[in-house]
Amino acid sequence: MYKLLILLLLPLTLLAHMNIAVSYPYIGAITKSIGGEHIKTVVLAKGNWDPHFVVPRPSLIAKVRNADALIMNGGQLEIGWLPPLINRAANPKTKAGANSFLNLSHHIELINKPKSVDRAGGDIHPDGNPHFHLDPKNILVLANTIKEFLISIDGEHRSIYEKNHADFSDKWRSNISTWSEKMASKKGMKVIQFHNNLAYFNKAYGLINVGTIEPLPGIPPSSRHIIELIKLVKEEKPCCILHDVYHSTKTAKFISGKTGIKVILMPHDIGALEDIEDLTSLFDYLTSAIK
Amino acid sequence: MKKILLSSALCATIAFGGANVLPVEKRTFEQSKFIPDISLVMDASLVNRNISDDEVAHLEIPGVAHGLLGSHSHDEATHATYNANNGFNLNYAELVLSSSVDPFLSMDGVFHFSEHGVEIEEIYFTTTALGFGTRVKGGKFNSNFGYLNEQHHHSWDFNDMPLVYEAFLGMHSINEKGLQLQWMAPTDTYLMLGAEVLQGDNEQMFGNKTIGDTQAPIVKYADAPSLFVAYAKTSFDIEDTTILAGLSYARGSSRIDHTTDETPHAVGGMSSLYGVDLVVKHYFDSYSFLTWQSEWLGRKIDGTQYNLNPDDTTVVLSSPDLTKEQSGLYTQLIYGMSKNWHMGLRYDTIYQNDIEVNNVKVAKPNNFNKYSAMLEYHTSEFARFRLQYNRNNALYNEAGKQQNIDTIILQANISIGAHAAHSF
Repeated sequence: MYKLLILLLLPLTLLAHMNIAVSYPYIGAITKSIGGEHIKTVVLAKGNWDPHFVVPRPSLIAKVRNADALIMNGGQLEIGWLPPLINRAANPKTKAGANSFLNLSHHIELINKPKSVDRAGGDIHPDGNPHFHLDPKNILVLANTIKEFLISIDGEHRSIYEKNHADFSDKWRSNISTWSEKMASKKGMKVIQFHNNLAYFNKAYGLINVGTIEPLPGIPPSSRHIIELIKLVKEEKPCCILHDVYHSTKTAKFISGKTGIKVILMPHDIGALEDIEDLTSLFDYLTSAIK
Repeated sequence: MKKILLSSALCATIAFGGANVLPVEKRTFEQSKFIPDISLVMDASLVNRNISDDEVAHLEIPGVAHGLLGSHSHDEATHATYNANNGFNLNYAELVLSSSVDPFLSMDGVFHFSEHGVEIEEIYFTTTALGFGTRVKGGKFNSNFGYLNEQHHHSWDFNDMPLVYEAFLGMHSINEKGLQLQWMAPTDTYLMLGAEVLQGDNEQMFGNKTIGDTQAPIVKYADAPSLFVAYAKTSFDIEDTTILAGLSYARGSSRIDHTTDETPHAVGGMSSLYGVDLVVKHYFDSYSFLTWQSEWLGRKIDGTQYNLNPDDTTVVLSSPDLTKEQSGLYTQLIYGMSKNWHMGLRYDTIYQNDIEVNNVKVAKPNNFNKYSAMLEYHTSEFARFRLQYNRNNALYNEAGKQQNIDTIILQANISIGAHAAHSF
């Protein structure tokens, strides 16, 4: 029995590097790019599911319990699932306020901050739109924040984190200019979405969101709203419905059938579609999706 | 003079960063940022039962429990179980407050308001800084015995309790004052061990207070705390399916006071409760799932039954040895079609009811069943309307005749305030 216990615990002690739990795959990718071989990232949510609704499975509690640090998106995106995991894990390193706990939304200026906060307006995010990572320029800010964070908890490897960060940023900047060129002709195009999760992407490339399939955030489409939306599509002539991968496209296809508008699947994170394997391929895809 | 005024005004502006003096109403020691998370939950129902409320109050599960439906009393308080009456019921208004206390502790309070008063359902502190996967909880709380015991009514999938829980532990389940210690193993697979020391005041099963006159008691008190609970839980995922399994054990002294019944009696002894739970949850996507949830409970009560004189309940007529071995289970299947629609089926049974008085078996029925079906509509995460049908074949009247009770319940469960994040 004792031998068995040692065998069970041994692999854990061999992991000398830092174990960093992150809420979403994109955070894991940035963190891994900067941390390199000195860290191990554990991603809690799946990239192809709705980031608002993650099942707080007990296996995730075990992941948080064994983490040396936690990086979350914030802006209330994780409000429905992360707090019970953190409470249950009882890990002083991953609780809000710990110096090994990072809330990325505190380092980004959020847009769409509601003027009044009332659930009669649907499931709103009081701090603003939390899907900020879909502006590629914000990735630079986040990478810098994560670099500073890693240095603050593991100063020993400062030079490595700084070098990795510099490499990442250089590459990312050249990517940004490629994507900007690709998207230049799309500026001013009108789009429809299911949920306004591309707000930052749209802002970055001058796309104009004229409507959402859900009448209010988090409220499923009603027939009255769809009739209004069809009218809107006919009047405003948006180019396309930019649809997330986790809601059913049934309603979008119905609107498409009535109006001829294109429905384009837009991945929101790594793993959202099969080909989206890293951050670069995510934005490569997003910037090529609108034809 | 003017110059001096001007320059001093300029200095003041620079010194105060150009800020205006705060308006009077803002010059306060404002503490509103420290308000804890607050939420308020209401639960109300419309009930149609094929039997009157008066009749229901006299039904029992012979040898196991009585007064399951309808109102009941304990200590000085009389209150009703959920959906006690035909027609409209206000089951509760529940006020939940929670916040960090300081860097080392958090505190949660759950206050259960009924039309007759307020109960402190839970109030406890939890440690947040111990590390090593350990957590200590103290105060009054729902024990983590089994799966359902810790959950509040509003997170259940059916409006009423499973038969085994309600019959063995009463409508509050194991809700006690005490201390809890939990430890999570540092393994990739979730493994949690927990132990609790509890006061031991459970109306149906556990107790430690003297029954009868303290000078010449029928059953003498037991030293408190008198209830001890231990459990182990483990969980793992296979693709998008999560499996959670647990084993639980509770042991404590029993003091069951039925001295005011028509056939007055009391029981004193020691009891053990065993629990096995298994939850298998499969997610099809972010919004639709299938959950199979089952719990088995078994109990053994070992003690003495004191039969009292109905005309003078201080007189013990006989005091035979009593053992009860009883077990049952519930199993339920819930299908979440979408964020809006959920439906489910549940089967409840108590299938073992072995009672021996002075080592002689007492003939009692041992086949108590209940069948339930429900359909839920969620307007959002914060509001749920549920239609439930129950066929309850578990209750017997005073003449010993089995009853078939059909109940239709339309329930509204609404919450406002802080987002109630659900644990698994």
